[in-house]
Amino acid sequence: MNVIQATLTGVLIGGLYALMAAGLSVTWGVLRIINLAHFGLILIGAYLTFQIATSWHLDPVLTLVITVPAMFIAGAAIQWLFDRLRLTEFNSLLVSFGLLIIIIQVTSNIWSADFRRMSAGTNPYATQSVAIGRLVFPVTTLLAFGLAALVVLAAHLVLRRTFAGRAMRAIAQDRAVAGAFGVDHRRLSVLLGGVVGATAALAGMVFSLSNALTPDTAYEWFGTVFAVVILGGIGEVVGTFAAGILVGVLSGVVSAVWSPAAAPFVLFSAIILALLLRPQGLFAVGGVR
Amino acid sequence: MIRRGGIGLLVAFLVLVAVGAFSDQLGLSSFYLILLGSICFWIAQATSWNILSGYSGYFSFGQAAYVGVGAYTTAVLSGRHGVNFFLTVPLAALLCGLLALGVGAVAFRLGSLRGEIFALLTLAVPFILAAFARINRSVDGGQGTTVPIPEVPDAFGALPQFQYLLALLIAAIAVAAAYAIQHSRTGSALAAIRDAEDVAEVMGVATFRYKMLAMLISGVLGGAAGSVYALQIGFVTVESVFGLTIPLFVIVMGVLGGRTHWLGPVIGAVLIVTLQDRLSSYGLDAWNSIILGGILALLVAVSPDGLYARLRARPLAALGALVVVSGGLAVLNAWGEVLDWLVVGMLVASLLAIVLGSRWATAWLRRGRPAAVPDEAATATADDVTVPGDAAGDAVPAGSAESTVPAGAPGSGAPGDAEIEAGETGASRGADQLGAVLVECRQVARYFGGVHALEDVTLDIRAGELVGLVGPNGSGKTTLINLLSGAFRPTRGVIRLDGRDITRLAPHKIAHVGMARTYQIPRPFDSMTIRDNVAMAVMFGPESLPLNRARPIAEQHLATVALDHLADAYPADLNLHQRQLLEMARAVASNPKVLLLDEALAGLNPAEVDNAVRVVRRIHESGITIVIVEHLLRVLNQLATRLVVLDRGTCLADGEPQTVLNDPAVIRAYLGRQAHV
Repeated sequence: MNVIQATLTGVLIGGLYALMAAGLSVTWGVLRIINLAHFGLILIGAYLTFQIATSWHLDPVLTLVITVPAMFIAGAAIQWLFDRLRLTEFNSLLVSFGLLIIIIQVTSNIWSADFRRMSAGTNPYATQSVAIGRLVFPVTTLLAFGLAALVVLAAHLVLRRTFAGRAMRAIAQDRAVAGAFGVDHRRLSVLLGGVVGATAALAGMVFSLSNALTPDTAYEWFGTVFAVVILGGIGEVVGTFAAGILVGVLSGVVSAVWSPAAAPFVLFSAIILALLLRPQGLFAVGGVR
Repeated sequence: MIRRGGIGLLVAFLVLVAVGAFSDQLGLSSFYLILLGSICFWIAQATSWNILSGYSGYFSFGQAAYVGVGAYTTAVLSGRHGVNFFLTVPLAALLCGLLALGVGAVAFRLGSLRGEIFALLTLAVPFILAAFARINRSVDGGQGTTVPIPEVPDAFGALPQFQYLLALLIAAIAVAAAYAIQHSRTGSALAAIRDAEDVAEVMGVATFRYKMLAMLISGVLGGAAGSVYALQIGFVTVESVFGLTIPLFVIVMGVLGGRTHWLGPVIGAVLIVTLQDRLSSYGLDAWNSIILGGILALLVAVSPDGLYARLRARPLAALGALVVVSGGLAVLNAWGEVLDWLVVGMLVASLLAIVLGSRWATAWLRRGRPAAVPDEAATATADDVTVPGDAAGDAVPAGSAESTVPAGAPGSGAPGDAEIEAGETGASRGADQLGAVLVECRQVARYFGGVHALEDVTLDIRAGELVGLVGPNGSGKTTLINLLSGAFRPTRGVIRLDGRDITRLAPHKIAHVGMARTYQIPRPFDSMTIRDNVAMAVMFGPESLPLNRARPIAEQHLATVALDHLADAYPADLNLHQRQLLEMARAVASNPKVLLLDEALAGLNPAEVDNAVRVVRRIHESGITIVIVEHLLRVLNQLATRLVVLDRGTCLADGEPQTVLNDPAVIRAYLGRQAHV
């Protein structure tokens, strides 16, 4: 029973991992930019949700009306900057590392390094849960999973069915050739940066519902989220979703059966095994690349 | 060989020791000693990072693992188990060395490892260690550990002095190691790995071993410095030693100072630590990370090669700025104290060096002197391709980009007319000298997933042959070259070179048995001069030579391809033809029995083809067996002693060029139904 509960909770939490990783994966796959600042955007999204919900007594989910556009602009601006600097894949890692450090310090200066959490009054989701038999699912994880599934489905459809999606896949495969056939790389990448920023707002909101915030949380996401990106296959949205669930289940079950301390080891070993056996990612079935 | 840098390093060390030893007499407060100690710690860490990440190009984001494990070893052993502090330092170094070897053994075995993946893997290591330390309370008792002050021999004076001298010693060892590595064989190997790793491997550099060596040295130094750091901070917690600020600091220092030179991280560490100290003293701690992050982001975009190169280009301007600004502030004496003046002076000097070295400034300074440099370059490229001592009338200036062959000159018209007519004798001469079987391929196959790139190719190449390998695009020519040189391993089959089974050998070992190759798109080591590019092949060839003995030999090889006058230039200054000649010189310099030329004539104009053909023939006549992949059948018809035709991964024809080219099956597969040769 314990293991079944841990597995199912892991599946749902995996949705949050996938939500955080999807944007990172797509920018890496399509634009060849490893955007560590994405973690910073998620962090800001989470703090904004906390701040707006707390001071204006808004329902935390409704704060998306403000945070999504704000993060869209932030994401687009960062992407515009990357485009201007003409960075290589590797240098993008360094520049965005610098940006991430700045963002974390700024959040720390604004909201202090202490833990911040929405009070039970402003955040009705934290205490609710759905029970099926003896299995209990917190509403926050259901929400995370639902949003992740929605985002992944939408991204998949956009990349497969629409002109912009096909253009992005063309950019991912060969930027120069795509440009020669009239794909406006600049505009598309800024647009994509904006959309990815918007997903950061979603992920931040979901995270703030069930967790206390401190600026350093951004670092704690690193390991798990990159595990998801690499396992899922860089640039593969559906693969990212599957990998998120796998990682969620793996950490959940290992924590429940063995010990939470063992989870990082298992995860790390999983990444290495995956890289050894399937360098293109476990779930690479044909996303943007 | 004693170098200036080494002497400078020794003098600096002695002066700094004297500063520590006589700090009382000099009137230095312990504040300065602690600051100097902190600078020394960061010099050691940044240098440790640079030996791996700067030299080899594999950026590590995991420096905190060494600091953490080093500091924890000392804190836990001496603080909780009463082990002598001086014993814990080598223990910490040992542990970190083992950790580095473990991470390296896993990471560098990954077939798909790229720089980004390495960075992310190393990023994960301190996280995992920190999680381990945080969750297993038995390690540090849960709250962190106080580091007891060791018994210091009286000769070292008070504790601040002792801490400083200890940190200085570690920093000096680290910098000396970085200096020694840079001027050694290992340094050359790491630079080659940074520039073009697989090329280095195929040339004979045991890349895995050198990367592991760099990892090990980096780990040992990082661990020892981390252990001393525990004493410096006095109280060790997970947050203080495993945090992300440590990789941030060392990366910023390396990128700021310059990653390819041993002095780079030293410059970076001095600047960053003093700047941090000043910011803290003015209560701007909250701005520390913001400024550091900003510096990193800006530098990568504006001056990725770092301060060292810029300072070296304009030492006087920078020194002048430092003296004027710091001196000026001191004279005015209106604000701050000595350290403030120094920091402002250093910042201005660095800024000046960066700005003066930037593209806009260079363009602006040169505005009065038009086009002098391009002219020189044009002359250089114009006469380098003419081969000295060759037959009169061959002196066709072919190197410059717009070179159309002068009308009426010999060699105009179809590629290689004059030269190839003369070549018939060369070909038949080669055929007379056929020796024993040198390369044997037995039913070699290579699949890429479901694609059968090569299927049961059986082929013998005898010593002295010049085999032309032809076939339509996608027929498996380059795959065969990659299998022979060891870049890929065959799915099935056996390859022997000189009687030795090389099927499963690492590429650098195949190179030592006697195989060399060139690349269709030339891949020189961009950070090295043309001479050193070739010298690398000599150094890491079958008999290893030191750099200073390899260089004269390299020059001989450059003379063979008529590039000797460009020995001091860098690959970026060469045109395509010259780069391809460089590829050939480099391949020949590794003293091979068999030379594989992968489309060495592709993209050349007719005159350049003539010249390249001449060079190939000269190499062949020097006794090297050659396999050449080429599409110009006219050239191969005359140059090769034998043609092998591949079609869809199988061997379609094999024999005398004339016979093969008249084979109806070959004509159908390669040239289409209607073609005539």
